Amino acid sequence: MNQQSHELDVRPILRSGGEPFQAIMKAVADLKPGQGLRLLATFRPEPLFRVMEGRGFTSVAREIDGGDWEVLFTPRVAAEPPVDVSTNAEMPQLWPDPDTSLDLTDLDPPEPMVRILAATEQMEPGRVLFALLSREPLFLFPELTRRHHQWVGSFDDTGEAYRILIRIGTRTENNNG
Amino acid sequence: MPGAALSRWTMTYFAAALLFLILGETMMVAGYGFPSAPLRAPETLMLVHIVAIGWLTLLMLGALLQFVPVLVGRSLRAQRLALPALLLILVGLLCLEAGFAALAGMVPLYTSDLAAGAAALVLGVAMAVMIIGLTLWQARPLTAPARFVAIGIGCLVVTAMLGGAFALELSGIAENEIFSRLDLNGLSIHAVLGLGGWMSFTAIGVSYRLLMMFMLSPDSAARVDRAVLWIGAGALMLVAAGVPFIIAFAAPLTASLTIAGILGVVVVGLYVSDVVRIYRKRVRKTVELNSSASVGAYGALVASAALLAIVYFDHGDYAAAALTYAFVFGWLTGLGLAQLYKIIPFLTWLECYGPVLGKSPTPRVQDLVREKGASVWFVIYYASVAAGTICILSAQANLFRGTCLVQLLATLVIVAQYVRARCLADVAPALQLPHGARRPNLFLSRSS
Repeated sequence: MNQQSHELDVRPILRSGGEPFQAIMKAVADLKPGQGLRLLATFRPEPLFRVMEGRGFTSVAREIDGGDWEVLFTPRVAAEPPVDVSTNAEMPQLWPDPDTSLDLTDLDPPEPMVRILAATEQMEPGRVLFALLSREPLFLFPELTRRHHQWVGSFDDTGEAYRILIRIGTRTENNNG
Repeated sequence: MPGAALSRWTMTYFAAALLFLILGETMMVAGYGFPSAPLRAPETLMLVHIVAIGWLTLLMLGALLQFVPVLVGRSLRAQRLALPALLLILVGLLCLEAGFAALAGMVPLYTSDLAAGAAALVLGVAMAVMIIGLTLWQARPLTAPARFVAIGIGCLVVTAMLGGAFALELSGIAENEIFSRLDLNGLSIHAVLGLGGWMSFTAIGVSYRLLMMFMLSPDSAARVDRAVLWIGAGALMLVAAGVPFIIAFAAPLTASLTIAGILGVVVVGLYVSDVVRIYRKRVRKTVELNSSASVGAYGALVASAALLAIVYFDHGDYAAAALTYAFVFGWLTGLGLAQLYKIIPFLTWLECYGPVLGKSPTPRVQDLVREKGASVWFVIYYASVAAGTICILSAQANLFRGTCLVQLLATLVIVAQYVRARCLADVAPALQLPHGARRPNLFLSRSS
């Protein structure tokens, strides 16, 4: 996910003797998740780096024409949400495509956990299950591992649905791994 | 690895906590402590610490051992300390009680009781704080609910250390100017950081996440108001600032307590409005008993804020005691009993049926309890606490013992429901123990 940075030019405010901090903070608040900010100013805005650091942005500043400065603020968290992986998962990128898909987003917990475990009991070792949930199934993870299944999961870009891929394991596979 | 496993000792913490709650309420029925005895009498101290340490602290610690991993999505660190922490806190509390009983002239005085009790309590608390602290530390940066917990356990540490200083001073073992200054001026800080910082601030943080989970409110509705976190933290800092002030000047920092009180009322207002929003925007339309029974606790929290105003203008013992009683039994105990009504069946279900889910037919979590029968007892519980608060305000010591009897009865019925859930007593016999499932022990979870 590579979004275009939002651009904010505060040079006119600075030249008219104004204080651009409010405008900058408003622009920061309006950024989409993962979006960066490209700021144009008449000087190197040192104090702002600390403020933005505290808000989770890294900054790169460079001088541009006419003694003005361009600063790129990039959100420190990767745009992709972090991926949870079971310790026994081996090369998930090589897993076959899922042959079972479950949309469990409308179910009340712990029903999604019940459905997923019921589905895994019906599947052959090595096959893959995909499920969509409304929350991170924290209590499911240890149970999957106990049953020697491998899994990878992450929130989608909106952060509102959790996706999980489960590869059915066998006891032997676990012992070797 | 991400995920939250069953916490092995949580049920044991809960069982011990509930026994102390019943003991404390029985003491109130028997006329122990205020208003039957003076507010600062050793009998009142015995009652207060049975409830604050035996019931509320063990309840909160047991809940945190299970839910901090849920808050941070990581497994618990240093779990091995959970049992020694519990045992040390139990031994410490019993020694402390023996020390107070000696001060009341009930048993022969062993000056070492108070000191030994304080030492064991401080050590036990330190171990529990280490488990929770290390688990939070590995999960930085912290989410907002986890920050509440971090501030809460910070308050627990200061409360325990102040308590230790009081115990050393009272036992006469350590003749020390600093201890006597703290003992003379630090009581309100000890109480406010314990009840307000440790128990309430932690409960507020955890409740944001639990309410959202149980009612399926969208994250946008449940977004923790940062103002609650920062104003609350600021208020607690102001209170804690009284400690170095007392050590330096041998006088209480009254102004900071007043400002902290005002900020506390603001925090309560913001938090309750957040809770209302979470309830309104919930996706799960039926409100389960744990959530509906918590409403009484929020009511008691708001009522406590009003009582705080009375305490400010009327410095008498009765107003302060009414505030403490409403806060402890209406807000903290009410919330605790209501949430246990969900937590105990859920953990029991997970422990018993988790390993066989999908392999055999299993009951649902809600099949482990009978909400209809229990709900009326929550109403009776809150009504008795409201009546008890009025009795204290109007100095009716004997009538208060009567309302406490009703409160004890309601508590016993609610606790009996937890025991039934643990014993799978309400589950249809055909589903009770599918092949491969093991019956849970009453207060000791099987390690997984």
